Amino acid sequence: MQNDVPRAIELYSRAVQVNPKWPEGWWFLGSLQYGTGAYVPARDALSRYIELIPTGGPAFALRGLCEFETGQYAQALGDIQHGISQGAANQPRNEQILRYHEALLQTRLGNYTSALKMYSIFAKNGVTNPELLAAIGLAGLRMPLLPKDVGTEQQGLVSAAGDAAYRFLAGDEASATRAFRDLFQRFPTAPNVHFLYGYLLFAADPDAALAEFQQELRITPSNADAEVMAAWGLLLHNSGAEALPYAQKAAEQEPALPSAQLVLGRSLMETGDLKEGTFYLEKARQLDPNNLEVHLALAKAYSKSGRKEDARCERILSLQLSNSNGATLDHP
Amino acid sequence: MVPRLTTPRIFLVLVLLAGVHLVAQPAQTNAASSCARCHAAQAGPQPDTPMGRGMQWPDANPLFKSHPQLSFRKAPYTYRVETKGNQTLYSVTDGTRTISLPIHWSFGKGAQTWLFERDGNLYESMVSYYPSIDGLEITTGDSALTPQNLDEAVGRKLTKTEPKDCFGCHSTGAVSMGKLHLERLEPGVTCEHCHAGANAHMVAAFQGEAYGTAPPDLKGLSSEDISSFCGQCHRTWEMVVRSNWRGEVNVRFQPYRLANSKCFDGTDPRISCIACHDPHQDLVTEDSSYDATCLACHASTNQAANLSAQTVVHREAKPCTVASANCVSCHMPKVKLPNGLVTFHDHEIRIVKPGAPYPD
Repeated sequence: MQNDVPRAIELYSRAVQVNPKWPEGWWFLGSLQYGTGAYVPARDALSRYIELIPTGGPAFALRGLCEFETGQYAQALGDIQHGISQGAANQPRNEQILRYHEALLQTRLGNYTSALKMYSIFAKNGVTNPELLAAIGLAGLRMPLLPKDVGTEQQGLVSAAGDAAYRFLAGDEASATRAFRDLFQRFPTAPNVHFLYGYLLFAADPDAALAEFQQELRITPSNADAEVMAAWGLLLHNSGAEALPYAQKAAEQEPALPSAQLVLGRSLMETGDLKEGTFYLEKARQLDPNNLEVHLALAKAYSKSGRKEDARCERILSLQLSNSNGATLDHP
Repeated sequence: MVPRLTTPRIFLVLVLLAGVHLVAQPAQTNAASSCARCHAAQAGPQPDTPMGRGMQWPDANPLFKSHPQLSFRKAPYTYRVETKGNQTLYSVTDGTRTISLPIHWSFGKGAQTWLFERDGNLYESMVSYYPSIDGLEITTGDSALTPQNLDEAVGRKLTKTEPKDCFGCHSTGAVSMGKLHLERLEPGVTCEHCHAGANAHMVAAFQGEAYGTAPPDLKGLSSEDISSFCGQCHRTWEMVVRSNWRGEVNVRFQPYRLANSKCFDGTDPRISCIACHDPHQDLVTEDSSYDATCLACHASTNQAANLSAQTVVHREAKPCTVASANCVSCHMPKVKLPNGLVTFHDHEIRIVKPGAPYPD
């Protein structure tokens, strides 16, 4: 009988018991179990495969997908990313599945910026479906949830935010503007709606973005991310003095947020308090050692204070990070 | 803190241009001549420097007078820049259809690129004038473009952010409170562009209140801050890194190149932009004229004795063992942009090894 998956699972299970060093056996067992929704045994079978073949990118990726289903989100993200780095996403269909799950996990773990960057690829390629829109909405509204976990009362907001952001990410700005206006009218007090629009506008229109961040702060005064972005926008205008109050509030509200320490350090440096500024920038570096903006700011701070060699080290690090990022960074 | 250019910096964005008629050409004022009454050494020569002529109205553009007919062909398109009287037309034809547009703004004193308006949008000309060939060629950065039709062959439509960048650096007063105001601009970099408050100071001076109203003294800035200040247009180190502009193209961005130099010290005035360049004077192109600045750090005992009293010499840096003059010819070699039409001295000061790749 063909396609008798339960029987195949049974046979593979017996085979790997007889020969536990048979990697293909573990692989077929794990992938078949994944297909039937038996995520825990599938994960364990794939772990046995990985023990035997540590370079198996697809096995890492598939184990990540199992962990996604079992709620082990941090492990899932690590495995999916490792799998992608080992070539698991080389086929377009696999790539779409893995990138989508990676973005879902980034959102679930609070890495909203990374998630939105991934979703923008889907939008540019014209991929769309209601779950994707909800997923974009969650990342945009900075809600650490998966689409399936959104409560009924939030679904309208999340979908509408996702739809507006999707239009923007797809490059249809006119339609996105209309969608955001509609969103503001329908949900005038919802947190992060103006933040999302500001975030999307930031690269092309920082002035308009700043107005959105300020509007967000009127709606949710405790929004540290909006404080950070308002400060950052002003810093890029060379308006350090205007940025400072936003930066101070952000650092007060979220002292563990690296970008809050960054904007505070940078604002202090730009307003003449080089010593304090450097202190906060070094704090930001401790919290987020791979943040390009932190190293750029430290290079400047050290250079201004005559620490020539330290400045040089920070410049070298910045160049390395810029090389590995390979693209324009708009957000701290 | 780095003082702001009055036409704010280059990462900013354009107001929506669609449907707005952009061209309004006010009479060119000449604030520099008023400033020159007191600051003759600076304001006298500055208007004719490359920065002073960073942008020119067509009727004040010497190139159009000396070259009333310019043409260039890149099959299947032929470009013409023709001047009759005070008007210069930029035309492109594919042999069957022709698009002609008046040039409103010329960017650059030597090499020139033109901006024009079409259907409420701003375009950069697909071809530019290059003194090195005394003629037209594809605009730097546009050589990879492959126009699919005549409309695309006209030029590159500027992105939302670019007009504020272009006008913010090449003219004065065009950008205010983050908005583009083409009707207010003065062509080129005038006194007010760098010295925010210069115009108010001039008015105060006429009323006998010159003291206490002077704009901040930029000479007092550290080398790092001067680089940041000049870099608002010439690109700062961090702008280049943030944008990951690599390869020979970044030789144009002198503050970036200079900061990569081993000898760059953000607190040492001997390595700042203004240690070598007086922005109020025309660019000095003789290599030997920069020797004294190099020797301010790298002088041998004998050389130090011959330097003028004004040159502060701290001989902590090694003197050159190969030559004692024309330092920049070896240590700041000339690098051509990839199109081969424009050359810059590389401001990354270094010992250049034969055959070594461009350190980007």
